[in-house]
Amino acid sequence: MKKLLLVSLCFLMLCITQVFAQNRTVTGTVTAKEDGLPIPGVTVKVRGTNNGTQTNTAGKYTLAGVPAGATLTFSFIGYQTQNVVPAGATANVVLTLASNQLGEVVVTTALGIKQPARSLGYSTASVTAQSLVATAPTNVANGLTAKVAGLAVYSLDNGVDPNVSIVLRGNRSLEGNNNALIVVDGVPIPGGSLSAVNPNDIADITILKGASSAALYGSEASNGAVLITTKRGTGDGKPVIVYQNSYQLENVSYYPKLQNQFGPYGGEGSYRVPGTNNFVAATDPITGAPEYIPYENQIYGPAYNGQLVPIGAPVGSATGPIQMIPYAAQKKNPIEQFFQTGMTEQNDISFSQGDAKNAFYISAQNAYRTTVVPSDVNIKNAFSVRGHRTYGIFSADYSVGYTKTRVSTYNSGIGVGSVSGISGSYVTNAGAADLYSSVLQLPAFLNLATIKDPDGFYGNPNDFYDAYAINPYWVLKHSRRNISKDQLLSQLKLRLDPAKWIGISYQLSDNFGINQERQTQDEVDFSKYATDDYFSAGNVPSGFAATGKSPGQVNDYYSFGDGANFPNPGYSRIQGDALIDLHYNFLKDLKTSLVLGNSIRQQYFKYIATGSKNLLIPGFYNINTIGGTISASEASFMIRNISNFGDLNIGWKNFINFEATLRQEQDSRLSKAERTFYYPSAKLSFIPTDAIPFLKDNHILNYAKLYGSFSRVGNIDVGPYTIQNVYNLAGGFPYGSLGGLTQGGTNYSSTLKPELTTEVELGAELSFFDSRLAVNATWYDQHVKNQTVPIGTSITTGYSSTLTNIGETESYGEEFQVTGDILTQAQNKFGFQLGANFSINDSKVISLLPNITSLSLGNRQYAVVGQPFPLMEGTDFVRDPQGHVVVSATTGYPSAAQTLTTYGRTTPKYDLGLNTRLAYKFVSLTAVAEYRGGDVVYNGIGGTLDFTGSGYTSASAGRQPFVFPNSVINTGTAANPVYTPNTNVNVRDGNYGFWQGSAYASVDYPYVSSGAFWKLREVNLSFNLDQFVKQSKFVKGITVALTGRNLFMFVPKNNPWTDPEFSDSSPTSNLRGTNDIRETPGTRVFGGSLRVTF
Amino acid sequence: MKKYILFIAIFFTIGIAGCKKDYLSLEVNPNQPSVSPPGLTLAAALNNAAAIVNTNYSQDGVWVGWWTNSGNYVPNPALDQFQITNTSYTAVWSNLYANLTNFNNLVLANQKDPTLGNYAAISMIMKAYDFEQLVDQFGDVPYSQAFQPSTILNPQYDGAQAIYNDLVKQLDAAIALINKGGAANPGTSDIVFGGNMVGWKKFANSLKLRLAIRQSTKFASNAASADLAATASEGYLDDTIDAEANPGFANTLSGANDQASPFWSNYGFDVNGNATFPNNYYRGNVFYINTLNGFNDPRINQIYAPTSAGGVIGGNVFGDNTTSVKGNPNTSAIGPGLLKSPTMNAVLMSGAESLFLQAEAALDTYITTSDPLGAQGLYQRGITASFKAMGLTAAQAITYYAQAIPNVGWAASPNKQEAIIYQKWIALTGYSCLEGYLEYERTGFPVLPSPLSADPSAISTFAPIRQFYPLSELTSNAGPLAKEGTINIFTTKIFWEK
Repeated sequence: MKKLLLVSLCFLMLCITQVFAQNRTVTGTVTAKEDGLPIPGVTVKVRGTNNGTQTNTAGKYTLAGVPAGATLTFSFIGYQTQNVVPAGATANVVLTLASNQLGEVVVTTALGIKQPARSLGYSTASVTAQSLVATAPTNVANGLTAKVAGLAVYSLDNGVDPNVSIVLRGNRSLEGNNNALIVVDGVPIPGGSLSAVNPNDIADITILKGASSAALYGSEASNGAVLITTKRGTGDGKPVIVYQNSYQLENVSYYPKLQNQFGPYGGEGSYRVPGTNNFVAATDPITGAPEYIPYENQIYGPAYNGQLVPIGAPVGSATGPIQMIPYAAQKKNPIEQFFQTGMTEQNDISFSQGDAKNAFYISAQNAYRTTVVPSDVNIKNAFSVRGHRTYGIFSADYSVGYTKTRVSTYNSGIGVGSVSGISGSYVTNAGAADLYSSVLQLPAFLNLATIKDPDGFYGNPNDFYDAYAINPYWVLKHSRRNISKDQLLSQLKLRLDPAKWIGISYQLSDNFGINQERQTQDEVDFSKYATDDYFSAGNVPSGFAATGKSPGQVNDYYSFGDGANFPNPGYSRIQGDALIDLHYNFLKDLKTSLVLGNSIRQQYFKYIATGSKNLLIPGFYNINTIGGTISASEASFMIRNISNFGDLNIGWKNFINFEATLRQEQDSRLSKAERTFYYPSAKLSFIPTDAIPFLKDNHILNYAKLYGSFSRVGNIDVGPYTIQNVYNLAGGFPYGSLGGLTQGGTNYSSTLKPELTTEVELGAELSFFDSRLAVNATWYDQHVKNQTVPIGTSITTGYSSTLTNIGETESYGEEFQVTGDILTQAQNKFGFQLGANFSINDSKVISLLPNITSLSLGNRQYAVVGQPFPLMEGTDFVRDPQGHVVVSATTGYPSAAQTLTTYGRTTPKYDLGLNTRLAYKFVSLTAVAEYRGGDVVYNGIGGTLDFTGSGYTSASAGRQPFVFPNSVINTGTAANPVYTPNTNVNVRDGNYGFWQGSAYASVDYPYVSSGAFWKLREVNLSFNLDQFVKQSKFVKGITVALTGRNLFMFVPKNNPWTDPEFSDSSPTSNLRGTNDIRETPGTRVFGGSLRVTF
Repeated sequence: MKKYILFIAIFFTIGIAGCKKDYLSLEVNPNQPSVSPPGLTLAAALNNAAAIVNTNYSQDGVWVGWWTNSGNYVPNPALDQFQITNTSYTAVWSNLYANLTNFNNLVLANQKDPTLGNYAAISMIMKAYDFEQLVDQFGDVPYSQAFQPSTILNPQYDGAQAIYNDLVKQLDAAIALINKGGAANPGTSDIVFGGNMVGWKKFANSLKLRLAIRQSTKFASNAASADLAATASEGYLDDTIDAEANPGFANTLSGANDQASPFWSNYGFDVNGNATFPNNYYRGNVFYINTLNGFNDPRINQIYAPTSAGGVIGGNVFGDNTTSVKGNPNTSAIGPGLLKSPTMNAVLMSGAESLFLQAEAALDTYITTSDPLGAQGLYQRGITASFKAMGLTAAQAITYYAQAIPNVGWAASPNKQEAIIYQKWIALTGYSCLEGYLEYERTGFPVLPSPLSADPSAISTFAPIRQFYPLSELTSNAGPLAKEGTINIFTTKIFWEK
C-alpha cells in the first residue's frame, strides 16, 4: 500500500518537476528473480525527476537523459521497488517478488500470461518450490498433497511406480476424466508425464481451480489446471550450482488387523491319511472343533497350543524329511515379516546462470527407490536443459527434459487389449494369483525363513507346504514385470516484440514417451512325487500331472504415447500455439489488453502387444520359440483439435478489472455436425480497499478483493472412434481360415455432443493486520449438461452399455484458505506461521434420462437422481424394518437381500489441510496434516482376509458359535413377518462356515467402511547453515533437513483393513472408493536431505 | 499499424492453412471394423451359442444328479445350499442376449439384402433356440422390444407363453424362408450343417417339438403342438443327423483363447493336457452311479472315468461334507464317452434328444411316426443313438433295452413317459445340463433324493425351480422389471411348470 502511495506521489512529483538535464541514455532489461523471465511494464524513472519510461514486452527499456550518478527507480506491482545507480550505459535489474503481500503478487495464469493477483476474477493458489520439495517426494503430485483448498491428490497405491491422480473441486464428470490438466511452461502435458518431471526443476506451481480460470485452455481444462513453471537461470550473471541429496526409508505403517490365534484348516470334512486310502474326519469327533491340516491355505484350524506339528508334506519323497515346527504364533506375524524396509535415494545437481538477456539451466537427477515389497526397484534418471535468449525484439525460450525410468516389480497380471496380462503365479485358482493374497495366506506360526528361497529346500513349488497357494517368494523371483520408460518433454517458444503495445509468439511443444514392458513367468517343473499329491488334497502340482510342468510365459507391450504404464497409458502430444498479445492504456486509468490465439494439437497413441503362455525353453523369453500361436494385438488412436481464442482485459484505476474470454474449438472425436463448439467466460474483480476512500490505509483490513466469474466450458470426455459401433474378434477365432466377429458391447452414437460445464464462482480475499492474517474464501457452483456416459444398459437392448449424453449434474462447494503470520521471524527471532485450507465439495445428480433415476457407473457405484455422485450401492443382509439383520432360526446365519443398499458417496466431502512453520535462527520446522472424510470405501481386501482366515475379524468371536449381533428372527410367516430379537440362536458354525460359507462373505456390507482419515503428511526439520559457510568462497550455502511423509494415519474403527485413499481403479477413472489385493499396505517415509549451493 | 495487421493476418493464415480440409476427419476406427460380413457374424454366433449350452449350466448338471463337487473344496453356498442371489449363475442372461443380438443383426441384414435369406433363416432358428433357454429359466423376458437400442433403452418384458407362441411362428417362417430358395448358401460359415439347409429345417422342426413337449405336461394342447403337423414333412433330427457345431476345433491356443471344443476345454484339459479346474471339481454323484448300476447301464464307464485311487467308478453324495470316503482320488471325473477329444463337436441338440422328444410326442399323439414300433421304436432308437454317441455299439444298446427293468425296457416300464425321460436324462448327460434340469422340472423325473443337498445349511430341500432376474436388469432396466413382481426361486413357476 505504502508503495502504491509512493508511486502515486512520484507521479505527482513528476507532473510538477521540470525536465532538468540532458545527459546519457541508459538501456537494460528487467527480469524477475523467481523465474528469470523479463517483466514488461516496469516503471523506470530517474529518481527525483519526471523523466521515466516503461519496459516493453521483452522487459527492455531505453531511458534517455540520465545524469551521471543519478539513481534509477524500478517499480512494478507485486515486486519490491529497486534503486540502482547505473555504472555505464547499461543497467540490468532483477526484481524480487514482494513477499506475502496479498494482491500484489503476480500470478502466472492460463497460457503463461502473468497477471497481478489483484486483477483476477477467479480463485487461484500457489505452491512454492520450497514447499513442494520440503519432504523430497519423487513425484510432483505428492508434494502438492494437502496444500491447497479444493485440490485433492489421490495416491492410489503404494507400488514402486505408484498411480497418482490430482482432482480439483471434486468430481464433475460422472464417468469421464476428472483429473486436472497439467501444464508445464504454458503447454499442457499428458497426465502420465507428470511423474517424469523432476520436482527440483520446478520454480513454482499455480493452481487454477475452476473452469473459469482455465477457460483459455479449452475443453481439456474443464477440471481446472495445475500450471508448473520450471526454473531458468537467475538474473545476476553469476553461475549457481546446487547439489542435493535425499535419503529416505520407507516401512509399512498400516497392516490390516491380523489374528495370531488360529492355524490352518480349510473347512473340508476330511482328508486322506497319507500312503493309505483312508480318509479321516478333519473335525475332532468329540469336540467338533476343526483339526489342524498341515497343507491348508486357509487359516481356520485349532488354536495355537505350542505343540510340535508337521507342516506340509515330506520333502522330496514320501520318506523324505518333514518340517516340524511349534504350533505357536511367531512374535511378529509372517505377513508383517514379509515386507521389508524400502529406501529412496535422490541425487540432484543443477547449474544455472543468467543475466538480463540470457538464462540457462541444466539439471540431472538420479532417483533410486526400493519399496516395502522385496525386490521391487524403480530407477529414474532425469535430465533437463532450459534457457532463454533475447536478441533485440526477438526472444527465444526453450526447454528439453528427458527422463528414463526403469521399474522392476512383481507381476500382478495387469494387461492390455486382447492380450491379457500374465497372472502372478502358475496357480490358476484358489485366489492365489497375486502376491499380496498369497502373503495373506501365511499362517502366524510359519517360520518365514524356511520358505525364503523359492527354489530351495522347503520353498520350491514341489515341496512348498501349502497345497493350494503359492510361495509369495516365488512370485517375487520368478514372475516379474520389467518396465522401461523413455519420456521427453520439450518446447520452444519464439517471441517478437516489434512495439511496446504488441507481442507475437509461437510455441511449439512435443511431449511423448515410449513404454516398453515385459512380463515374464518362469517355467515350473513338477516332480512326479509332487503331482502324485501326497495328501490327495487336489494340490496345485496335481493340476499339472499330464505334462509335469507349467510352461514359461512372456508378454511384451510396446507403446508410443505419454510413456505411462499399462493399463493406463496416455497420448503423446504435439502442439502449436500462436499468440498475439496487445496491450494499451487508452487513458491514464484505463488499461486494456487483448490476447488472440490459435492452438493446434495432435495426440497419438499406439501399442503393440505380443505374448505366449507356452514357452518351449525355460528362461528363454522369445516369442519365436513357443508352442502354439503367438497372441498379438495392436491399436492406434489419434485426436486432433484446432482452437481459436481471445482474452480481453479491461482495468480501471487499478481497482476494478474485467476480463472476458471466448474460445472456439473443433475436435476430431465428434462427428462433423457436432465437433465445433464455443465457450465464453467473464470475470470481474474489485478492490474496495483501494476504491473506497474510508477503507484506504487501514491497518486492520489492509486489503480486500471481491471477485466473481461466470464461464461455460465444453468438454469432450470420450476417446476417439466412439461415434461408430464396432465388431470384436470372437473368442477362439480364427479357426484356420474361418474368421468370426461379434458385435461390440457398447452402443455408440454419431450425435454425441460435448459436455457443457457452466460455472459460477464468487469469492473474497481479505488481508488483515498488515497482511499478517490472510483469508481467502470461495464459493462455486458447477452444472454439467450433456454428461457423456457409457450408461449400463440392459443387455436386452443388444448392448450392455450405451455411450450417450445424459441429463445434468451439479457440483458445488466452498473453499477456505487461511494463513497467519503469528510471529514474524524478523521481528521476534522466533517465527510461527499457521495455515489451514478447508474445502467442502458436494454434488448432486439433477437428471439422467427420461424415466431413469439411477445409473450404474460400475465398481459398485451409481448415479442416482437427487443424490451425490458417485454413490456406492451394494448388497446387504436381509433386515427388518428397524434395520436389524434377520437371521435364520435354524442356522443363525443372515441372508443376502435382493435389493441394493445405499452406502454413501465415494469421494471425500470434507478435506482439511493444516500446515505450520516454526523457525528459530537457522532452524525451521514445517508440518502438514490432512483430514478427509464424508465418504465410504469398499474394502475388497476384507473378503480376502476372511477367505484366508488371517484377518482379525474372523477371529473376533474366538471361532466359536455366536449370536449375530443385533439380529432378529422371523417368527411369523414369509408373508406376514414377525421379528423377534435373537437372543439364543447361534450361528451354526462360528468358524469357517460363517466367515466364508455364509452370506456374510458374499454381501458387501461387512467390507464397507468410512473413508475418513487423518494423516500427518509432511514433517521437515531443516537447518540452514548458510551463515556458517559464508566465509567460504566456494560454498555459498548448506541446508540439511530431516524429512518425513505420512508418518501417522488415523482411521475410524470400522476400517481395520487398509489406507482408504487406495483404489483399484485407474488414475483416470473417477470411481474411487474400492480397493483389492493389488494394493500392498500403506507406508511411512522418513529420512534426511542435504542441499549445497556453490 | 498496417504492418502489424498484416503480421496478424499472416500468422493466422499460417496457423489455419497448415491443416488440410479433412484434418479433423478421423472418424474411421483403425482398430476395429465397423461392419461385419454375414459369414463372420454367423460363424462366431453359432460357435458362441454352442459354447453357452455346453459350459454355462454346470450347476444344473449338479442339481439334476449327474455331478457333485468332490469334497476337496470349500462348500459353495450357492451350489450346495441354494443360497442364491441375483448375481448367482446370471452370466447366461447376458451371454444369451449378446449371442441373440448377433443373430438378430443377420435377420435385419436380410431385410436390406434378400440374398441373405439362408443366413436369416438360420438366425431365426437360433433365436428360437436361445430365447427358449431364457424363457425356461427366467419366465417373462424382453422379446418384442429387445434389440432396438436407438429407440428403446428399457424394453418391456413379454409374457413367457406369448414368446413361446411367437417362437413357433418364427420357426415356421425360417423353414418357409429356406424353402423359398434362391439365397446364398452360407457354406463353411455354417459351422453346424456346413450349408446343408435340410439339416436346419430338421433342427427347426425338432425345436418346435421341444417347445410343444415342454408345455405338454401343463397344457396338453398348446399352440406349438397344434402347429407341429404343418411342418411335419420336413422331418426331425434323429440317429442320422445331429445339430452339432465345429468351426475346426483344435488343441491349440489362438492368442489367449483355447481353440478346443468348449466342453473339452471347460470340463476336460488344457492344451498341454493338464486337467482344468472343473475337471477336478465336478465328480461322480452317488445317486447317478447307483441309478446307472441299477440299470446295468454300460454307459457308466463312458460317463465317468475310473477313480485314481481305486480304479473304480466312485462318487460323493451331493452336499455331503462329512463322510470320510471322498476326495478327488476316490471320486470319478467326467469320462471318455463325454470328453472325447479336443476336436469333438459341440452339441446343440443331439439326435437322441430329438428321438426321445418324438417318442413322447408320439405318445401324446402330437405326431404320427413312420416308425413301425411307434413310440417304442423311437425310444429304442434314442437309446441306441445315445450309446453310439458315447462310443458304444448298437448291439450293446439292444442288449440294454431288452432288459426287463423299469425305465430301461419299454415293456417293463409301467409309465412310458417316465421311461422316456429317464433315458433322455442319461442321453443328455454333460452336454445339455440345462435341458436335463428343465425336463426334471417339467416331469419330476428322475426321482431325485430329498433333500437334494446333504449340506445341513441348505435352505431348501430341492433346487431352485427358476432363476432370479440378474442384478444388471435391476440396475439398468428397473422399470419394466418391477412389473414382474417379487420372484421366489423356489415357488415362482415358469408358465409350463405344473
